[in-house]
Amino acid sequence: MDAAVDGVVLMDHGGRIQAFNRAAERLFGYPAAEVLGANIGILIPESGRMDHDGYVERFVATRIPHIIGRGREVEARRKDGSVFPVLLSVGVVEGGEPPRFVGFVRDLSLRRRAEEENHRLQERLTHVSRLATVGEMSAGIAHELNQPLAAVANYAQACDRLLGLPDPDVEEIRDALKQITAQAVRAGDIIRRLRALARNDVMHREPTDINPLVSELTELIRMDATAHGVHYELELGGGLPQVEIDRAQVQQVILNLVRNAVEALREVTRAPRQVTVRTRLIEGSVEISVCDNGPGVSQTIAPHLFSPFCTTKVHGTGLGLAMSRTIIKSHQGSLDYRPNTPSGACFTVRLPLTGQE
Amino acid sequence: MKERAPIVSIVDDDDAARSSLRLLLKSLGLAAIAYDSAASFLAGYDPQQHGCHLVDIRMPGMSGLELQQVLNQRGGFTPIIFITGHGDVPMAVEAMRQGAFDFLQKPFRDQELLDRVQRAIAKDHSLRQQLRSNDDIRRRLDSLTDREHDVLALVAAGSPNKVIAHKLGISQRTVEIHRARVMEKMHADSLAQLVHITAVIGIPYRRTATGRSSSVLPEGPALAGR
Repeated sequence: MDAAVDGVVLMDHGGRIQAFNRAAERLFGYPAAEVLGANIGILIPESGRMDHDGYVERFVATRIPHIIGRGREVEARRKDGSVFPVLLSVGVVEGGEPPRFVGFVRDLSLRRRAEEENHRLQERLTHVSRLATVGEMSAGIAHELNQPLAAVANYAQACDRLLGLPDPDVEEIRDALKQITAQAVRAGDIIRRLRALARNDVMHREPTDINPLVSELTELIRMDATAHGVHYELELGGGLPQVEIDRAQVQQVILNLVRNAVEALREVTRAPRQVTVRTRLIEGSVEISVCDNGPGVSQTIAPHLFSPFCTTKVHGTGLGLAMSRTIIKSHQGSLDYRPNTPSGACFTVRLPLTGQE
Repeated sequence: MKERAPIVSIVDDDDAARSSLRLLLKSLGLAAIAYDSAASFLAGYDPQQHGCHLVDIRMPGMSGLELQQVLNQRGGFTPIIFITGHGDVPMAVEAMRQGAFDFLQKPFRDQELLDRVQRAIAKDHSLRQQLRSNDDIRRRLDSLTDREHDVLALVAAGSPNKVIAHKLGISQRTVEIHRARVMEKMHADSLAQLVHITAVIGIPYRRTATGRSSSVLPEGPALAGR
């Protein structure tokens, strides 16, 4: 028993510790002598104690194993009071009445820490990627903010001049002042939406309706599209069921795809330059497609499209599509490319419905 | 002839831009008509209307530059002032190359707007006057008889009456009579003026079978000197 890598703890039907191997000593921080005869409860944090007592009682009464035999992730408590994750498998010791139980305890702290680190890095990367998108959209944003500012400048100067007239039209001037307020609010809205895009949210999945999510992006997309002389079309399919997604992440992917489309359309001089976003239900998934009528993707690039660091943009990072695919895959969905007819590219995101991942 | 008051045409897809600009122009004593797109402008504008165009350079659908191209193709000469935003310099340069009168970066000061618009309107006024004057000249030329026309061509070329008489096979006295009629019909007070007037149209020029002069807009350089 002492040679075992995992902690092994033997307890009687009353929950008293009868044996405690070397690994268990290391895991829990107790020398065996200290715990022998003590209740198993000392190895379990407050939160799990009642459950454990309940399991043992139930087994003794019914002989039906609930925790018995299966490895479960539970929390354990060290001597110093610290709580750590373990994989626990419990078995009944052959022969003997009343029954005795043996627990195999595997330390999961390292694995848990690695998972958390991975999660944290994913969030950072998503956030940075989102900021990069915001940066790329800055031309459109600056242009968009300039509109209300210019209107305010016009209205204010007009009011100044109108007040200089011998018999000023007060109603006209008052109306102009109301317009000034409206334009200031308009500018505020644009900034607020920008900040919402750049915020650093914790990743959080919930059942979501796709159409409102896509519609929310319309203003931002139009800013980008108009600034580059691109026409934006939105076609929302009806009756779409909910999908289990992280809102910010999926919005990030859509913005990324639209950004790419707008960039690709720079080459096109013949109007109309068009990006179309469509949502629909197909083959049991909710599909969001972003299509453009640009030059499309060449045969040489196509196989490497989703590879990290593959880019045709002058200032591209090559991370956009790779990241987008990773995000969608982590939602058990798919992100694919197909050529558009008669020309251009279509990127389709498919997300499984809630309860189907 | 009494002139209609000039009107500024505003072409901009942004509601607030149109509205605020119209009010600002009004406060500057200028009348304006606003269009929400290049298409609605092309459908509704009057080429005969004296004034100038204020066009936003960035518009969805037909852009400001594309609108300029269409107007150029139609032979439009009304001055266009483009309204640009930050980072629109390359577009502004292209617009100027394609014959735009001016461009203004927004937001702008009302005095700046007033100065540019007034200059554009003055340019438009002078262009239209020139065209009307050319029309007058052409009409007067059309009123000449064939013989009078021949005499005009030779007089403008600097030939003395004796030479003209010889060339046309008529008497010098007849030449003198034709010459006097030509001066009268062309509203010219001197030979120098006659030469100047005809230089604008271009003598010799082709007379069609019906005896009417072909109406062609004078070349750019002829106007530039005005």
